[in-house]
This record gives sequence, structure tokens and C-alpha cells, in this order.
Amino acid sequence: MTKKIKLKISARLVKKRSRRGNGGRPKSCRFCSDKKQMLDIDYKNSTFLKGFLTERGKILPSRISGICARHQRSVSGEIRKSRVMALLPYSGPSF
Amino acid sequence: MATLRKYEALMLTVPEITGDEAKNIETTLDKTIKAGSGSVLSFERWGKYKLAYDINKNEYGVFFLTRFEAPEKSTLINELKTLFKVKFNNVVMRDMISVLDPKNPLTYQRPRSLEEAPAREAETFAKEKVSSYFSANDKDEIGDEE
Repeated sequence: MTKKIKLKISARLVKKRSRRGNGGRPKSCRFCSDKKQMLDIDYKNSTFLKGFLTERGKILPSRISGICARHQRSVSGEIRKSRVMALLPYSGPSF
Repeated sequence: MATLRKYEALMLTVPEITGDEAKNIETTLDKTIKAGSGSVLSFERWGKYKLAYDINKNEYGVFFLTRFEAPEKSTLINELKTLFKVKFNNVVMRDMISVLDPKNPLTYQRPRSLEEAPAREAETFAKEKVSSYFSANDKDEIGDEE
């Protein structure tokens, strides 16, 4: 019986355990710590913004990119701008 | 006197744009901005780019960036928008006018254009392909014999 109970691990618990892998360090936003990098957030600088996209062209969530909410808003805004100018894709590379 | 504000306009044009057409865009922009009591700061050609998706069945496009000063609360920006949409309808595919932050420097970064990228010769590319193909085949054959 005890073994069966151990096997049942909910998705929420798995997430909680994976968070421990961070070593208990608080997250730090790269733009908050270095103000100079703020200038790179620009819709013309698509090579930089590409780092915030998934393989299929979706915007990375701040949970993964590790940016604070304020800078995530500006990054995603600039990505959407550069999508209009066809510098970045709306959806993945065409096969 | 109204305070001046800095703007920039990024234009995406068709890939087969000629030098005359580009010159025409530059002069008309200069005229309209001067008529609206502003001034053109810069006009530059980025070069040819491969687009992230097709626009009007075009795979490639040429970017132009212009920066200008215009007085606040003027109708100049709307005039420029209609200029792109109406007069240059068959040349300019996309345009974006944005306000520049006076605190930030005017320098900017842009992606590399196709003209700047180092070109590989077709023959060397083909040779690499062929050699890799043959080497892969050889390994297979050896494996079969063993």
C-alpha cells in the first residue's frame, strides 16, 4: 500500500520539487540589474529579441526567461512590434 | 514656439525597388516634413532582408529608416501615414512611425542584412554536401561487410 501512495505524485508537487533545484536563490531580472541592457529592448534589434522566443515563435513566459513583470511587458511589446515589420515570425519557421 | 519631438519611421519596401524610387521617397518625405515645419535628421538604407513571413507574395524586402523632428500636436504624422498608404502604396509594404525617447542615445542595433552576410561560393557548398554524402555511404558499406 505504501508503495502505491508514493507513486502518486501530482503535477503540482513535481513543479514544487523542480523549484528546489534553483538552490533557494531569489530570481534576479537581468534588465533591473544592468540598466544598459534596457537599450537593447527595441523592435529594430530583432537578433536580440529572438532570444525571448521559443522555437515555434511564441513569446517565452517570464517564468522561464527570468525577467520581472515590468520588463517582460516591454519585451513582449517590442516583439509584437517587430512582428508587424516581419523581422520576427508570428508562428514558427515555415517548413 | 512649439517644442520639437524626435520621431523615426521604419519602412519596408518591395525587394525590386530601384534607386530612383528610393530617391523619390526621400525627396517627398523631405518636402512634406519641411512643409510641416519639421526637419529630417537622417535617411538610411538598411539593405535587403529575408522576411519572417511572406508579404504580398514577397519573400524578401528592403528596409529604410528615417529620423526626423516634428512639432508636437501637428498633423504631420497623419500626413506621412497617408503618404505611405496612398502614394507609395505599391512600393512601401509596411511602415511604422514611433516617438524617440529624448533620454536615450540615437544609436541603435539592427539585424544583419543579406548583403552584409558573408557569401559562400556555390561550388564549395556543393563539394561539402557531396563529400559528406559519400563518407556517410562508405561507413554504411563497411558496417555491412563486417
